[in-house]
Amino acid sequence: MGRRLVLLVVSVAVVAAACASDGEAGRESTGPSTGAAFPVTLTTSNGDITIDERPERIISLSPTATEMLFAIGADDQVIAVDDQSNFPPHAPTTELSGFEPNVEAIASYEPDLVVYSTEPGDLGSTLGGLGITTMLLPAATLLDDAYEQLEQLGRATGNAQAATAVVDDMRTEVDSIVSSVEMPQPPLTFYHELDDTYYSVTSQTFIGQLYALVGLDNIADAADDGGGGYPQLSAEYVIRADPDLIFLADTKCCGQSPATVAERPGWNSITAVRGRDVVPLDDDVASRWGPRIVEYLRTIADAVSDVEAEAA
Amino acid sequence: MRRASSVAIGASVLVASIVVGILVGPVHISPSDVLRWAVSFGGATSVSDQDAAILANLRLPRVVVAALVGASLSASGAAYQAVFRNPLADPYLLGAAAGAGLGATISVAFGPSDAFAVTVPLAAFTGAIGGVGLAYSLGRSALGGRSATSLVLGGIAVASFLTAVQTFIQQQRSETLRQVYSWILGRLGTAGWDDVRIALPSVLLAVATLWTVRRLLDVIEVGDLEAESLGLNVGRLRTIVVVAASLATAAAVSVAGLIGFVGIIVPHTVRLLSGTSYRHVLPLSVLFGASFVILVDVLARTVVAPAEIPIGVITAFVGAPFFLLALRRSAGRLT
Amino acid sequence: MTAGAASALRLHELAVRLGGRDVLRDVSLDVPMGSWTCVVGPNGAGKTTLLHACAGLVDRDGSVELFGRRIEEHRRRERARSVALVPQHPVIPEAMTVRRYVLLGRTPHVGPLGAEGRADVAAMDSALERLDLAWAADRRLDTLSGGELQRAVLARALAQESPLLLLDEPTTGLDLGHQVRVLELVDELRRQERLTVVSAMHDLTLAGRFSDRFVLLSGGRVVATGTRNEVLDAAVISEHFGASVQVIDEGDLGWAIVPSSRGSDHR
Repeated sequence: MGRRLVLLVVSVAVVAAACASDGEAGRESTGPSTGAAFPVTLTTSNGDITIDERPERIISLSPTATEMLFAIGADDQVIAVDDQSNFPPHAPTTELSGFEPNVEAIASYEPDLVVYSTEPGDLGSTLGGLGITTMLLPAATLLDDAYEQLEQLGRATGNAQAATAVVDDMRTEVDSIVSSVEMPQPPLTFYHELDDTYYSVTSQTFIGQLYALVGLDNIADAADDGGGGYPQLSAEYVIRADPDLIFLADTKCCGQSPATVAERPGWNSITAVRGRDVVPLDDDVASRWGPRIVEYLRTIADAVSDVEAEAA
Repeated sequence: MRRASSVAIGASVLVASIVVGILVGPVHISPSDVLRWAVSFGGATSVSDQDAAILANLRLPRVVVAALVGASLSASGAAYQAVFRNPLADPYLLGAAAGAGLGATISVAFGPSDAFAVTVPLAAFTGAIGGVGLAYSLGRSALGGRSATSLVLGGIAVASFLTAVQTFIQQQRSETLRQVYSWILGRLGTAGWDDVRIALPSVLLAVATLWTVRRLLDVIEVGDLEAESLGLNVGRLRTIVVVAASLATAAAVSVAGLIGFVGIIVPHTVRLLSGTSYRHVLPLSVLFGASFVILVDVLARTVVAPAEIPIGVITAFVGAPFFLLALRRSAGRLT
Repeated sequence: MTAGAASALRLHELAVRLGGRDVLRDVSLDVPMGSWTCVVGPNGAGKTTLLHACAGLVDRDGSVELFGRRIEEHRRRERARSVALVPQHPVIPEAMTVRRYVLLGRTPHVGPLGAEGRADVAAMDSALERLDLAWAADRRLDTLSGGELQRAVLARALAQESPLLLLDEPTTGLDLGHQVRVLELVDELRRQERLTVVSAMHDLTLAGRFSDRFVLLSGGRVVATGTRNEVLDAAVISEHFGASVQVIDEGDLGWAIVPSSRGSDHR
């Protein structure tokens, strides 16, 4: 009988100690990844969300979010990504659609966190009604937005330290690229092509800002009157503007390349075409705001350096 | 309006439209610059390389393509209205539009994406001709005879079927939607001398054929029976017209997409001016049709410059009231 | 029938099948040049089909000869230059002018790729004159009265200058005065131009007044041919029309067939 009593006291003590330590951790609301990171409350675009414990069944409906998740080391926590998430190649792509999300299909995976970037309808509240936590990370408008999203994903998934490291690396590289580019005066002009009907971007957009970082002048800025930053230009407009550089973000969707551009009627009078400064881009890299924007910036900077070298 | 004077007016309007088409665009090039460029055609001028490129490789071929498209669609529309004795007949009546649309969709969905500039026009052309061929054989075999009604019914059946197939493919390959849709609305934004080379032979041949048989189109107005009693081979004339009009329509569609209403607006307007005899209606439709599309295209590329309104949208705006007008005038005639 | 008179139209065992039905059976006929033959018969007898077959406009068995040559040997335009048809219900293109409409009659003379010449315009003008339509030359067809329209169609047939004229119910929709005027005009033209006329008529009195030869068609067959007395005979007519009639023959004062006082005779 004495032994039983000791066992009882020890168990109670252990339980009490465990409860006490849980209690301590619960008081922390946001914070660095030292020690207990959960539960964590984040302020996101769809309001404040609280994540109680480290998510192990994450679904990403945003190709950019997918890239971010894998960059910050959340690989093992992601169980499914949408059909457009093609990077990294080993991401678990499914037939889920980020544009026309099927709530039942999503719920059938029994996720504990769903990350998405566009809200067609009430995805957030519908999933919320099923008890699934969602996180809306909309398209970034500034470079800082991209960094902020990485940090948030880091805290949400328990990888805050890794996320901060990724962001720091990105900042350093961006700075180094920008400082190594020779920015001529007057600035070089460029045309960024979104599709084969001459849709472009202005400097108001995320992509447009990247070009501004390396001192490039956007020919589409003069065209967008009251628009949303995505004006449609015309062949005449581009020819008259005579850009020094042309960047093609429609190589995959619309089969454009330096060769097809050179064949367009009248385009061989453009400086960029004559100087062979038509740069094909990966459509995906040019439309996402994840860690690969560094790669994108490098491509642009290299193109600028090429032009400078030719001029010399 | 007497014939000689109305042709003279038609020709002047066409010349004026061509001039406007060359002078006006989203980019402002001063008339004196244009004159300098024109006078020293191709040679070294004080006009910048870019402006010269715009004029020679964009504006000029675009005006030519617009003229060819306008002439084709108007002549075909007028001829179809004659041989089907229906004022609302348009060049797409016998499944040409549905066939072209399907051809374009197939080439966008399954073809090599870097060759779209070649494959889409070719597929559209083939599809247009194929659609008409299908309607023709369906009308003859299943519905008996080369009468106007059986051809039209065949055309309706074929158009419905081909459109359904096209919609299905677009559903399965939704990434093709944007490109096919913009093609369907019609645009001349990428017209160049290559398009002129593609379209010119067919258009010339077809329009010349329709021009030549214009007098016989008057004879058909009294109905198949009486026309036969007057010695006309009605079946053969109808076949010739269908073939020529389909060729012209297919050529137009392959370089410019589906531009609707031209085949109705122009012939009806011309009839208001010159009476209903096809001796006049056909040549005037060719001249005024060419001018019409040139001018509408100028609107399309300047109203929201530098963006472009698809030309099919503008013709639809203008066309809707025309349908009403045509319906009212023909209310008693349709049996 | 004089054996020596040239034949404008000869039918031999003509048969026509339309829509699965035998509309004409075993029709044989000989129409001498310069005569006016009238085809009479009850509704549905096949009169219109007979005229269309004579113009070569329907598929048929048996033979049709125009002026001694089988119709198959005529090329289309040649055939149209030999025989002109004035249909019962002509298609009237409303916006067409009278001048253009009559000019259509010159189609077999002009050729597919040609244009009208002076002779064609002269023929058109002459036709307009004869039918008293010169004043209406530039008027639209839809502004003409019934009588004027009928004259326009006749003018077109006249402009065609074909020696054989087929008239399908030429008095449809005309008042009595116009009916008589049109038929008198046809008679006058026949004599002046030496035309051969074959008409289908349901008005037996007018038929009897103007034609010199008669054919009674019933159920697609020829049941009587010959002179007026032979064909438009009270007994014959009563039998095939299912109505009791009597002939009133006052010689020069006139001739008529009227329903007899006993009324119709239902069979």
